[in-house]
Amino acid sequence: MIIKSEIAGQIWKTVVRVGQELAIDDTIVIIESMKMEIPVASPIAGIVTELHVKEGELVMEDQEIATLEVLRASE
Amino acid sequence: MTWDADIEEIKTRRALAKQQGGAESVERHHQKGRLTIRERISILLDPKSFDEIGEGAGVPDYDESNELINFQPANFVLGFGQINGRKVIVGGEDFTLKGGSPNPAGLRKSVYAEQLALQYKVPLIRLHEGGGGSVGGTSHEKNRRPLADPVFSTSRFHPLALTLGQVPVVAAALGPVAGLPASRLVASHFSVMTPNAAVLIAGPQVVKRALGRDLTKEQLGGPQVHLKSGAVDNLATNEQDAMHQIVKFLSYVPDNAWSRPNRIRTNDPVDRCEDILAKIVPSNRRQPFKMRRILEHVLDKTEGGSSFFEMSRKYGPSLITGLGRLNGHSVALIANDCMYYAGAMTAAAAQKLRRFVDFCNSFHLPILSFVDEPGFMIGPESEAAGTIRHGTAAIAAVLQSRVPWASVHVHKAFGVAAQAHFGPDGYVLCWPSAASGALPVEGGVAVAFAREIAMASDPEAKRRELEDILAASQSPFPRAEGFSVHEIIDPRETRPKLSAWLDIAVEAQIEPAAPFQATMRP
Repeated sequence: MIIKSEIAGQIWKTVVRVGQELAIDDTIVIIESMKMEIPVASPIAGIVTELHVKEGELVMEDQEIATLEVLRASE
Repeated sequence: MTWDADIEEIKTRRALAKQQGGAESVERHHQKGRLTIRERISILLDPKSFDEIGEGAGVPDYDESNELINFQPANFVLGFGQINGRKVIVGGEDFTLKGGSPNPAGLRKSVYAEQLALQYKVPLIRLHEGGGGSVGGTSHEKNRRPLADPVFSTSRFHPLALTLGQVPVVAAALGPVAGLPASRLVASHFSVMTPNAAVLIAGPQVVKRALGRDLTKEQLGGPQVHLKSGAVDNLATNEQDAMHQIVKFLSYVPDNAWSRPNRIRTNDPVDRCEDILAKIVPSNRRQPFKMRRILEHVLDKTEGGSSFFEMSRKYGPSLITGLGRLNGHSVALIANDCMYYAGAMTAAAAQKLRRFVDFCNSFHLPILSFVDEPGFMIGPESEAAGTIRHGTAAIAAVLQSRVPWASVHVHKAFGVAAQAHFGPDGYVLCWPSAASGALPVEGGVAVAFAREIAMASDPEAKRRELEDILAASQSPFPRAEGFSVHEIIDPRETRPKLSAWLDIAVEAQIEPAAPFQATMRP
């Protein structure tokens, strides 16, 4: 699953690393936009297979942030 | 002589009409995972309440001895019905016949749906799945040029234009919806679409011919396009969910513009004060919070959970709009969502607000506004989108509003855009976390103290010092002292305070309810 940014802004912090396991609602990155720190949360339980952005990078709406592999319930 | 043969033919025609496009066509439709229009109507309405109109409209086919052998019904099914005992008009295209593209009787019935709603002043529900007109017209004789209506006839769009000011109109896209049905879909107060629906001005072949672009109908007008474009309000997980959302929406609105919304009491105590409200807004101005949690804690809770029914979540998402109940009263909710651009008013959010406020005024819904407005969205994209015009139009709509209005100043209220959250003669409550002014501290300090910051030995420390000093000056207490707000409150008191006000405000509406009209706006 590809996670996209819903807002334009600057990547203030990458909270996860590739290979990390995430639960639903875990923060992937924090985007600074309009002087606020907006978390991009995981909509699924999964593993981060790719991070498409770096700290300090400007992102636009719909830009890809990360790729997650869905974690099955039995795993 | 008796009329037995004719009476028998009526029965035969009705039976044939219920076969819709025939068993094969219905089966193909089911295989696509979609219900027929008659199945949809039966799910939506109270059992056995459908009272069909124009079942006999269609085209008969006779054999050589003039015996009826087939009957192709109008491909728009229409009738009265009831939802939770309330009378409604319901209609929709029959996709199993010509893909819902109107046949002559189908077109007439579709236009008549709006006329019926206007005549009997009851909510109109349209369940759409079908195409628009054909280049050959609706005539069966394809070599004949299509005949237009006479010049003196009333435009079929006239009732469409009138309904929005007189009766609640709800629409669903439950498959491909193109052309005239798409126009009808958006001429509604609330619209919903299923994941496999597509809403199109023109389909892929027309687009390919005109623009040379190869796109599927889903790429052109699927939910990922139209929930963000604002053409459609909500996504439904399936057709049953679409019907559920229609029923829920209607539960908050009156039958027409001459009535007021029903009060439906719940068991939720009016004096319920939630501790979470006292700590939900972070003291750090950079940290966001979840505005929907505030709405859910303040509004009535029902057996099914929160009474909050959100509309248009994906469109202009920095603004939340929806319906709910407070102390049983039907209310409309407006709130900023700081998770999107700090809640700033974008061009889309402004258009969403204007449309929503007009809807509330059309059906006399009191508005509760939860304010966290940092101002109009700034930057080149915002300027290019004409945000200032759309935003000012939204403010004009708010100030033309005639419904009871209460504003809870939760966090920010800055700049011109803040005015879009405070209606005329409104009741204003203020939380301790509220801050207001011409513009937020961070931007304001950078502009007003640019030289002082630049000349400081540690510019960053100077900037923070100035921001902290000025942030303290934006405190809500001086506003309460100056009676610029009705009351500064403990956030936990929000529900009882608003409930008490609402009782008074609703009772004070002694004048008869009537259709709402507004003047031109920017």
